[in-house]
Amino acid sequence: MDQLLSLQGWVNANADSYETFFFYILAALAIPLAYGVIFDRQIIRSGFLLIGVFGAISGLFLLLQAQFLAMAQIMIYAVGITLTVVIALMLTNPKLEQEKSIAVPANQYIGFVTAFVLFVTVYLSLLSESFPVIAEKVAPQAVLMQIGIALTTNYALPFEFASVLLLAALIGAIVMAKNESGLPDELEYSVEEDDIVTPKIPESVA
Amino acid sequence: MNDGVLTSQGPTSKQASLALSFWAMIAVLMTVYIGGSMNGLFDSMQIDVHFRDVSMFGIIAILSLMAIQIGATAYAVLPVATFAGVVLLCVHQPEPLLRYLILAAALFAIGMYGMVTSRNAVRVLMAIELMLNAVNINLVAFSRYCDTHATGQVFAIFILTVAAAEAAVGLGIVLAIYRNESTVDMERFNSLKW
Repeated sequence: MDQLLSLQGWVNANADSYETFFFYILAALAIPLAYGVIFDRQIIRSGFLLIGVFGAISGLFLLLQAQFLAMAQIMIYAVGITLTVVIALMLTNPKLEQEKSIAVPANQYIGFVTAFVLFVTVYLSLLSESFPVIAEKVAPQAVLMQIGIALTTNYALPFEFASVLLLAALIGAIVMAKNESGLPDELEYSVEEDDIVTPKIPESVA
Repeated sequence: MNDGVLTSQGPTSKQASLALSFWAMIAVLMTVYIGGSMNGLFDSMQIDVHFRDVSMFGIIAILSLMAIQIGATAYAVLPVATFAGVVLLCVHQPEPLLRYLILAAALFAIGMYGMVTSRNAVRVLMAIELMLNAVNINLVAFSRYCDTHATGQVFAIFILTVAAAEAAVGLGIVLAIYRNESTVDMERFNSLKW
């Protein structure tokens, strides 16, 4: 028991270096997996690599004392959104073929310059800013309580709007993806008079 | 950025050996630099520590461009070089908060690259999900280090909601376009172009 207590004390004393260590481990997972999502030719595999990215990010949330968000991240992103993405991939690419090229070569240079300039700008603005970091840390139970209180008092209106948004998105997605078999193949105004060709009886038959 | 190097047969032995030697070079450089600066090896140089980090970042960028020019695949070089760059920029930051912000900026930039370049519409949506996640990391990190009322986590929950709605509607649109055009190639969606 004494040994366990001293171990606990040692862990508490070294909490910062643990956080550093696990941060770099999770960064080493998240960055190559994110590249895999962008670069993998077998697009169904990049859909599954997305689960890995979301898992690594939920690990980062655990490091940041946001246990509720880490679980919500796994439930909503890593299961829900990835599932819809994979189903959409299977519907739009039924034979699961490899893509011949994932990007237009001209776009690649534009994209590389855009992303690099974006990153440099964000980094320089981070360096030039000083953030009001506070020393006290909130206990995890208190965080969950504060989220609940905030969602039902200060942010009650956005919370209700979020439910309306989800309902609208649900109905909109169903309407958008529904198979419109009831409609005629060609609408009337899409066919012009000249396009209608009356079948010609060959002279030999006549 | 040599597209078409990674064939379905996998990389050739020359590409694999180039990538392995690049990884080894980066590992040795990083070990020497970070271990040396922890033990005060570079203190006699009288250069600002952040300037030193940024110049190492530039050296790694030049090395990876050279490796791609020689013939290593960009897919093998870029992830390792990005991770090494992020570690270099993070390692001497005074606050732990900045580490998370820099990692989030890197993930956001990767998502931006994917969004600009990808041909497949579903992959564009995946890249947008990546960018939303990077923003979430920012919000949660600020809520941990700069706030006592967990406001950032509330906003992260709202972003989660919007991302779910966006994924559902976006994929519905992609399916509708696929039914009409039989393709999900972004280059061929030109019915709205004028």
